[in-house]
Amino acid sequence: MAKQKCVAMLLAGGKGSRLKELTENLAKPAVPYGGKYRIIDFPLSNCANSGIHTVGVLTQYQPLVLNSYIGIGSAWDLDRRNGGVTVLPPYSESSEVKWYSGTASAIYQNLNYIKQYDPEYVLILSGDHIYKMNYDIMLDYHIEKQADVTISVIEVPWVEASRFGIMKTDESFNVTRFDEKPEKPESNLASMGIYIFKWSVLSKYLEMDESNPDSSNDFGKDVIPAMLSDELKLVAYPFEGYWKDVGTVKSLWEANMDLLDDEQDLNLFEHSWRIYSVNPNQPPQIIGNDAVIKHSLVNEGCVIDGEIQNSVMFQGVEVEKEAVVKECVVMPNARIGRGSFIERAIVMSNLEVPENTIIHNKSDDILLITEAFLVEHAQERTKLEEA
Amino acid sequence: MKKSMLGIIDVTMYPGELGKLSAHRSPAAIPFAGRYRLVDFIISNMVNSGIQSVAIFPPSPSRSLMDHLGSGKEWDLNRKRDGLFFFPSLSKDGQLSRLDEHRDYFERSQQKYVLVSNCTTVANMDFTPALDRFINQECDLLEITHKGKSAEMYIISLPLLMEIIDNRYETGYKSVKDAAEDEKSPYTRCKYEYDGLLKCIKTINDYYQTSMNLLEKEKWSQLFNEFQPIFTKVKDEPPTKYIDGSQVTNSMIANGCNIEGEVNHSIIFRAVYIGKESIIQNSIVMQKSKIGNNCVLEHVILDKDVVVGDGVVLRGTAEEPLVVKKGSVVENAVTSS
Repeated sequence: MAKQKCVAMLLAGGKGSRLKELTENLAKPAVPYGGKYRIIDFPLSNCANSGIHTVGVLTQYQPLVLNSYIGIGSAWDLDRRNGGVTVLPPYSESSEVKWYSGTASAIYQNLNYIKQYDPEYVLILSGDHIYKMNYDIMLDYHIEKQADVTISVIEVPWVEASRFGIMKTDESFNVTRFDEKPEKPESNLASMGIYIFKWSVLSKYLEMDESNPDSSNDFGKDVIPAMLSDELKLVAYPFEGYWKDVGTVKSLWEANMDLLDDEQDLNLFEHSWRIYSVNPNQPPQIIGNDAVIKHSLVNEGCVIDGEIQNSVMFQGVEVEKEAVVKECVVMPNARIGRGSFIERAIVMSNLEVPENTIIHNKSDDILLITEAFLVEHAQERTKLEEA
Repeated sequence: MKKSMLGIIDVTMYPGELGKLSAHRSPAAIPFAGRYRLVDFIISNMVNSGIQSVAIFPPSPSRSLMDHLGSGKEWDLNRKRDGLFFFPSLSKDGQLSRLDEHRDYFERSQQKYVLVSNCTTVANMDFTPALDRFINQECDLLEITHKGKSAEMYIISLPLLMEIIDNRYETGYKSVKDAAEDEKSPYTRCKYEYDGLLKCIKTINDYYQTSMNLLEKEKWSQLFNEFQPIFTKVKDEPPTKYIDGSQVTNSMIANGCNIEGEVNHSIIFRAVYIGKESIIQNSIVMQKSKIGNNCVLEHVILDKDVVVGDGVVLRGTAEEPLVVKKGSVVENAVTSS
């Protein structure tokens, strides 16, 4: 294998349990987003656009959809003769199957993958986040600062700071303190889970971490604190722009709604920084005679005969006549039956919503409309009618 | 049996009648139905019918066509064995002479049968039943027809094609079509009537009417279904954004558009911008065109990359749509009368 200056390792084993049924059969990075994408399209497209063409994708939880989606990486132009995308599932060593117990151990198990490219730098990414970022600029920053580790950080609201890995820095962004999910945060600079390591430093610390039986094998909890206490040069790389960790049904819904807001920074229409995705090969959308579309994103393959307001429609969605969809995210190939009304909800892929299904939602919460939800909804309605 | 047919697409079968639309491109590469090029239909039909070797005979190396087809990957034709081939030929002596220039291809191919087609037919058609008839009725030459008229697509056995090529000076045939239409020929000639939606686009009016007909759902669903998809080159556009104030009815819209104005009974290709208070009716707007604010377009075909300034009114008629050339900048009203 030819030498690569920088190899990216993309952690895509996230379970995303708070996304409920959305992640029942797929890993969090494969969750659909933005009318046509899956979350992992963002880091993969960022790699392609940043000129990083060697990407190891570490999968573990529910990998079927993700593996077949990634394929050989051609959707992101990452099908390369040298490098390209390699899916790296956990494997067994002699008699023992080794699951990835933490982010650090996942990388440790794949040190051989990295070694074959003899890189100078290793970029660690998470497959769970939605953002556009030029990693090449971050790499220049890392080299210029002569850092051992550079951690990308973003300012988060103080009230949310205790959900993140929080960093304290001096004036020249040298990290002086790192607290994983602190109860009383001393700063609001949160780690975005994007690290650039000197390869020599990373391999040394991963070996040490692995041989430490008390370690939980996590970058945030173990590896970074160990490097800090050894007084290595850790530098924060401040990022400004859109970045979202969609952990819950509501935050996934919000991230979709953000795309309808002209003020926010995530511009999918930027030609020089395209977000690539696997193409479903659908004809253009068909808008019927009585259709009303207000302030929405609609993907190809949709057939809209009803009314949609402030909504995001994935490919192949059908909205029949007299149906109204308000502030919803409708996942691929779902059908909203005639005369239905749905508000503030995420509708699951391939779901058939029967005619005249009325689902009002004035609460702050976002409904997740699944097959089971519809059955329960119909039963309640029958009960009400009988009473 | 499925792998036993070659697909020949002759791009020269309809030269020069599509006016401004084919002024800068091969007729095969004319954009159609929001995201396709005309040639996508015949290639997809061939691929969906199990044809794995497709040869395109353009009159010259055409940039727009080469750029669109690339390695044939989108049609799954980037194969080690068979796949997509380009055989440009400058010969003006007719189809058989141009095929003869590339006879290596035919001699090397293992397939027994050949489907010869034009490049501008819009249909979603499975050729398997036609080939079955060709074999079962022991035909020499089979002509596919639609409503009794020739669809200008033919099935012939590979050895007979070579024979017709070799004897072209004696017989005077210039093309497979000549042989198929010659009543005095010694060959067993058959017909296969296709009764689905099929239209060979030969004129601007054909182009316009066929496009507009697709806005009827019944016609649209004859062309697009999930089992026999029409493949095309992918452009990674985001979904289309309907901005406050937009009003869209009875239209076909591709991805990557930003729509602030009103669109009715029209076809909008990818990455088109339509400004505030503009009204687009009975029109076709091709990719990456930009329409300013307060414009009116009626019965217009805007080719790609056209910029229409604020307040401009463009009007054609249903019989004679106004065609605006690729890349034009339109600042003043134009009305065809």
